[in-house]
Amino acid sequence: MAATRRLQKRDIRNSGLKSFRDIQVDETNILTWQGLIVPDNPPYNKGAFKIEINFPAEYPFKPPKINFKTKIYHPNIDEKGQVCLPIISAENWKPATKTDQVIQALVALVNEPEPEHPLRADLAEEYLKDKKKFTKNAEEYTKKHSEKRPAD
Amino acid sequence: MGKELGDRIRIAECDLGQQSILHVIKIKAKQKLPELSPNNNIIDETEEQGNSPLCTTLNDAMFSSDDSSARASTGSTSEIDAIIPMLLLWLSREYYEFQEKKKPRVHFYVYCPTCKSLKPGKIRVRCHFCKSGAFTVHAAPQNWHDVLEPKQITGLCENTPELCANILNNSEPTFAEFYFKCSEHTSLGEKDEAVPLYLIRPNLRDIPCLACADVSDPIFVFPCAEGHVTCLDCFRQYCVTKLSERQFWQHPEYGYTLACPAGCSDSFIKEVHHFRLLTEAQYAQYQRFGTEEFVLRSGGVLCPQPGCGMGILADVDCTKITCISGCGYVFCRLCLQGFHIGECQSTESGNISNREGCLYNVDPTRAADARWDEASRVAIKVLTKPCPKCRTPTERDGFHIGECQSTESGNISNREGCLYNADPTRAADARWDEASRVAIKVLTKPCPKCRTPTERDGGCMHMVCTEQAVSFIGVGCVKHHGLESVWEAIGLDEFLKMYFFIKYQLLYLFILLINLFVNLVVELQKM
Repeated sequence: MAATRRLQKRDIRNSGLKSFRDIQVDETNILTWQGLIVPDNPPYNKGAFKIEINFPAEYPFKPPKINFKTKIYHPNIDEKGQVCLPIISAENWKPATKTDQVIQALVALVNEPEPEHPLRADLAEEYLKDKKKFTKNAEEYTKKHSEKRPAD
Repeated sequence: MGKELGDRIRIAECDLGQQSILHVIKIKAKQKLPELSPNNNIIDETEEQGNSPLCTTLNDAMFSSDDSSARASTGSTSEIDAIIPMLLLWLSREYYEFQEKKKPRVHFYVYCPTCKSLKPGKIRVRCHFCKSGAFTVHAAPQNWHDVLEPKQITGLCENTPELCANILNNSEPTFAEFYFKCSEHTSLGEKDEAVPLYLIRPNLRDIPCLACADVSDPIFVFPCAEGHVTCLDCFRQYCVTKLSERQFWQHPEYGYTLACPAGCSDSFIKEVHHFRLLTEAQYAQYQRFGTEEFVLRSGGVLCPQPGCGMGILADVDCTKITCISGCGYVFCRLCLQGFHIGECQSTESGNISNREGCLYNVDPTRAADARWDEASRVAIKVLTKPCPKCRTPTERDGFHIGECQSTESGNISNREGCLYNADPTRAADARWDEASRVAIKVLTKPCPKCRTPTERDGGCMHMVCTEQAVSFIGVGCVKHHGLESVWEAIGLDEFLKMYFFIKYQLLYLFILLINLFVNLVVELQKM
C-alpha cells in the first residue's frame, strides 16, 4: 500500500520543525499521527496545541485530514477541531505534497488567521472588527485550554 | 551458439522457431569492422561466406541455454547499432535483447488481449500499405513518436515494391508501420497483436515514485512536460481512487481518462488501454462510467431505475423518457422521478439554473444554514405526521405500529380520528422505505446537474458529485411486494387472462363431471 510505504519513510518525523514537536505514531496504525503545534505568534504563543493527522488508506492520492485535539480560539478552526486548510482540500491536493509542507501551512495558518474564509464566522468578524478584543479572548482561551509548551 | 547466415540463404528455408533472433546487418566498409564479441571471427569472414542454414541450430533451445558466450554473440545489439550502419529486419520473429545480467531487459510493455494482462512486448514492422512483414526500414525508429505515429519512417517493401509504389503513384515513399506483439505467448498468427503501453517504461534512471517514494521497475511515466513518475502499484491506486469518486475526465479526443496526479496541464493519458492495469471488475466499472459519461456529454440521460441505468439519447425537448430497450420505466427527464404531468415536485428546485458544474459555488455559511433549515424541516417530516383533520404536525410518542404509509395522500377519507386503520405489517414496511428515502433526503443533496443524491462527509462546505452506482437506493424499489410484484412481473392483463383461464378450466371440468354424473343416473334409471 502506497500510504504505508510512504509514511514508513519518516520524511517528516525527523524534519526538525521547531513549531511541530512530539510526533507520535501509533505503530499498529501508521495512518494516525499526533503532534504538538507550538505557534510563535501571539495570542497563541503562550501554549501548544495537540493535533491529529489522519492519513486515508488512499494516501497520497487523497489528502490527510487534520484535527485539533486541543480547543483553540481561532477563526479557521471550529469547535470540533476541524480545520479548513487549502493545501489539503480535495481540489488543491497533490500527491507529491509532503507532510512537512502541510504542517508548515498549518502552522502559518495558526499564526496568521485568515478571516476571509472562516469556519467560525463569529470569530472572524471579531478578528476583523475588534482585533484587541479578539486577542484578549484568544489569550485567555489559550491560557485556559492549551497544552504546556515543550521546555526547549 | 549464434550463426551467421550468408546472403544467398533463403529465410524460408531456415525453419526459424518461435522466439529466435535474426539480425540482418548491412556492412558498408569491410575494413571498419569493429570487434563485436568474443566470436568476432565470424564477422571477419567475407560477407558471402555464411554458415549453412541448419534447421536445428536457430531455435529456442539455443537462446534459452545458460551458455553465456551464446548471449555474448547474439546480444549487444546496441553496440552494433551505434557503430555499424545497420538495418534491422524484423521478420515476424524475435527481437530480444539479453542483458549481461542474464535477465532479459524489457524495452516495451504491452497489454496482451490473449494473456489478458501486462506483458513484455516486442516491436514488429510491416509495410504501411500492403501490410507485408518483408520490409526494410531506412532508419531505425528513434523514439515513441516514430513508432506510434503513422508515416514517420520510410523504407522499402520487399514483398511487392512495385505494387506499393504504384498505389502511391510514386508520390511519396513507402512507409513503415510498427506494431507490437506479446513476447510471453507463442504467436497465434498475423492478427495476434498487442497494444503498446508506452507510458510504462523500464526505470533506467532509478526515479522514485512520486507517491510512495520507492524506486521500482517498471514505472509509469505521465505524459506531462515534467514526466512525473509513479510505480505501477501507485498508478493502480491512483486510478482506483479516482474511479471510486468518478473523477476521470471525458476527454473529447482520448475518451474517459486521467491526467498527471501532480496536476500538470496537458497531461491526459492518450492510450486508455493503460487502464487495463486495473482488475477486470475495476476495468468494467471504468468502462461503464466512461460510457455513462459519454451518454451524458452527448445530451443523453441515464435510466434512474436501480439496476438499470440504460443510456438513452432522446430529443432535447422531450421530457417524457421511456427506457425502451432497458427496463421500460417511464420517467421525467428533469427530475428523474416517475413521469408526471405538470411541474416537477422539486424539494430543491432552486439549483436547476446551476447546471454547468457539479461543484457548488454558494457562500459556505449561507449554504450551511440553508442545509440546517432543510434538515430540520425534513426531520419534522420524519418524526411527525400531520393530523388528518387539521394537518398540524403531530409527534407519535407511544409504541403503536399503526402508521399510515402515505404521509400526504390516501387517508383523507379517514378524517375522523388520529388512529389509522391500515394493516399494521404492510404499513410498517412502507414506513421503512419511506424512512430510508427521507434519510437519503436528509443526508444528501442532489447534484444540480444530474440529480444524483450526494453525501457530504465532513470538512468544508463543499460537495463533489460522484454519481456512483449507489445513488438510487430507495428511490424506486418500494412497491414490489406480494401479489403486486406478480402483476408487475407479468403485466396485469396477462395475470387476468391466466386467472380467468384457470377459473374457466375448473368450471369446464365441473360441468363435465356433472354431465357424466347425470348420464350415469340416466343410464341407471334405464336399467
